Amino acid sequence: MPTSRRAFLAAAGLTAVAGCLGNSASKTPSGPLSLPTAAERLPLPASPERLRDAARSGGPSKDGIPSIDDPEFVASDRAGFLADGDPVFGVVRDGVAKAYPQKILAQHEIVNDELAGAPVSVTYCPLTGTVQGFERGNTTFGVSGRLINSNLVMYDRHTETWWPQILATSIPGPWNGDPEIRSLREFRLIWTTWTQWTDQHPDTRVLSTDTGHAKNYGRDPYGSYNPRGGYYANDNLLFGALNESDRFAPKRVVMGLRTPDGAAAFPKDTLRQAGQLDGTVGGTPVLAVYDDRYDTGFAYLNPDGQSFDRDGTQFVDATGTSHDPDALPLTSVHTFDAMWFAWAGYYPETDVFQ
Amino acid sequence: MSSSELCPRDRVRRALGRTRSATRLVFRRRDSQVAFVTVTAIYLLLYLWAIGHLSAGLGGFDLLVVSDPLSKLLRPELGPFSFTPVARLALGPVTYLFSLNSVLGLVLAGLVGVNGALTYLVWRQPRACGIGRSSTGLLASIPALLSGTACCGPVVLLVVGVQASGVLLTGFQLLLPVAVTVLLGSLVLVGRQVTVPE
Repeated sequence: MPTSRRAFLAAAGLTAVAGCLGNSASKTPSGPLSLPTAAERLPLPASPERLRDAARSGGPSKDGIPSIDDPEFVASDRAGFLADGDPVFGVVRDGVAKAYPQKILAQHEIVNDELAGAPVSVTYCPLTGTVQGFERGNTTFGVSGRLINSNLVMYDRHTETWWPQILATSIPGPWNGDPEIRSLREFRLIWTTWTQWTDQHPDTRVLSTDTGHAKNYGRDPYGSYNPRGGYYANDNLLFGALNESDRFAPKRVVMGLRTPDGAAAFPKDTLRQAGQLDGTVGGTPVLAVYDDRYDTGFAYLNPDGQSFDRDGTQFVDATGTSHDPDALPLTSVHTFDAMWFAWAGYYPETDVFQ
Repeated sequence: MSSSELCPRDRVRRALGRTRSATRLVFRRRDSQVAFVTVTAIYLLLYLWAIGHLSAGLGGFDLLVVSDPLSKLLRPELGPFSFTPVARLALGPVTYLFSLNSVLGLVLAGLVGVNGALTYLVWRQPRACGIGRSSTGLLASIPALLSGTACCGPVVLLVVGVQASGVLLTGFQLLLPVAVTVLLGSLVLVGRQVTVPE
C-alpha cells in the first residue's frame, strides 16, 4: 500500500509540474467531410439496417480504446521492444517502408497516419485477426466500442458513421442513422514478422511505443502470437459470429478477398504448402500465390487462366519472365488475413479454394 | 436494553457505532495492524494485476506521464469503472500503470484489509476481543477479488470458455460497486457484534 500511495502522489505531483509527454487526444476534424471511397460498393452479408441491429457492446465505450492520432516512428535499430518473431503489419509507399507492431495495435486498433503525404488509417481487430488499411481523406477514424461479428466497428469523426472493419462499408448507427452506404478505399498491409520485414526493408521505420498513451505494450490482454497462445490459439470465441461455419477451425488463418460480385478465401497454411492456388470469386477465376519473403499470399484476377511456374521465390510466366509474388502481370485483388470464423461469419456464401 | 427492544433506527446506529469501535480495535493492536497491512497490500497487488495495470512489460526504466493527465483521469477506458491510465512506470521487468483505478483499488484493498484483520481477530482471540464467531470478512472479500477482473471480464470469460452475453458484461461491470457494498455490509455485520471494553 505505501508504495502505491507514493506512486499516486508522485504521479499527481508530476502532472502538476512536469513537462508532459505525448499529444494524442482524439481530434474532431473540422470542415466538410472529404473521404475517398471505392468506385463500387463491396458486398454486405445483410442489409445495413440488419447489420446495425447485430451490433453489440464490446465493453469499452466510444474511444475507450484510443486510436493513435499522432504516431511517431523510430528506426529499426531503436525497436528493441520487438522480438524477431513478433508480428508486424508492413507497408511500403513511395519507397518508404513502415511497420506497425501488432503488440501496439492490439491496444489501439487504429492508427491515423499518413503515407507519402496521403492520410490513411491502419486498423487492426485482435478478435478477428484482421489488419486493413484505409484512405481516410480529411477525417480520422475512432473505435466505436461496438462489435459486429466480433469485429471492430470504426466510426469516422466527421459524420460519426459506423464502418465495420472487415466490410469496409458504411452502415447506419446510433450516431448517424442515415449515412450514404459506400465502401472505403483499401490498401494492403502485410502481416509478417519483424525479422522477415527487416530482412526485406532494413531501413524501415517502425511505430514507436511513445504513442502519447500510458499503455503497457508488453501485455496483450488477449493472448500471444510469439508463441501463439491464449485467444489467438484456442477455439473459444468471445462474442460469437454472425454465421457459424465448422468447415475449418474457427481461428484458422485464411486470406480473404472480395469484389463487388462476391467473396473468396483460402487457408494460409494451404497456400504455404502449395505455393499457388486456383479458385474463383463471384465466378471470376482467381490465382493466389505464396510469398515466402513475408510468409503471406497475394491474389489476382485471372480470367484468362494464365499459369505460372514457381521458381524459388519468383513466378515465371509463359514467356519465361520472372515476377515477384506481389507483382504478377495480372489484376491484383486486395487480400488480407482473417480468422476463419470471422470471414465465414460475414461472408457465409464465400468461395473457398484449397 | 437488548437489541430486540430497539427501534430499527437505533439498531442501525448502534451497529455503526460498534463497527467504528471494531475498526479502531484493528488499528490499536499490533498483530491486527500487521494483518491489515498484509491483506491490503496483497489485495491491491492482486487487483492491479487483475486489471492489467501491474504486469510484465517491455523492460527498461522509464516514467511517462500523458499530456494533460488531470483532464484524462476521469476518462473511461474499458468499462464504467475502468479509467484511462495517465502514467506509466517501467521498472525493469514490471510495468505499472497509474489511473483512478489505483485509487479505487486502494479503497477496496483497505476494506478487504479491515475485513481480513477483523477475521484474523475472530480467529485468534474471539472472546478477548468481544467479537462473535460469525465474521463474514473473508467471504465478503471474494466478490471484491472478482471485481478485480471486472475491467477485463470478457477475457476472463475466455479462459473459462464462455461467450460474453450482454447480461454477463453488465454483471461484470457491476462487480466493483457490488464488492464495495458487500464489504461495507460485512464490516457492519462483524462490527455490530463487537463490544469493545472502555
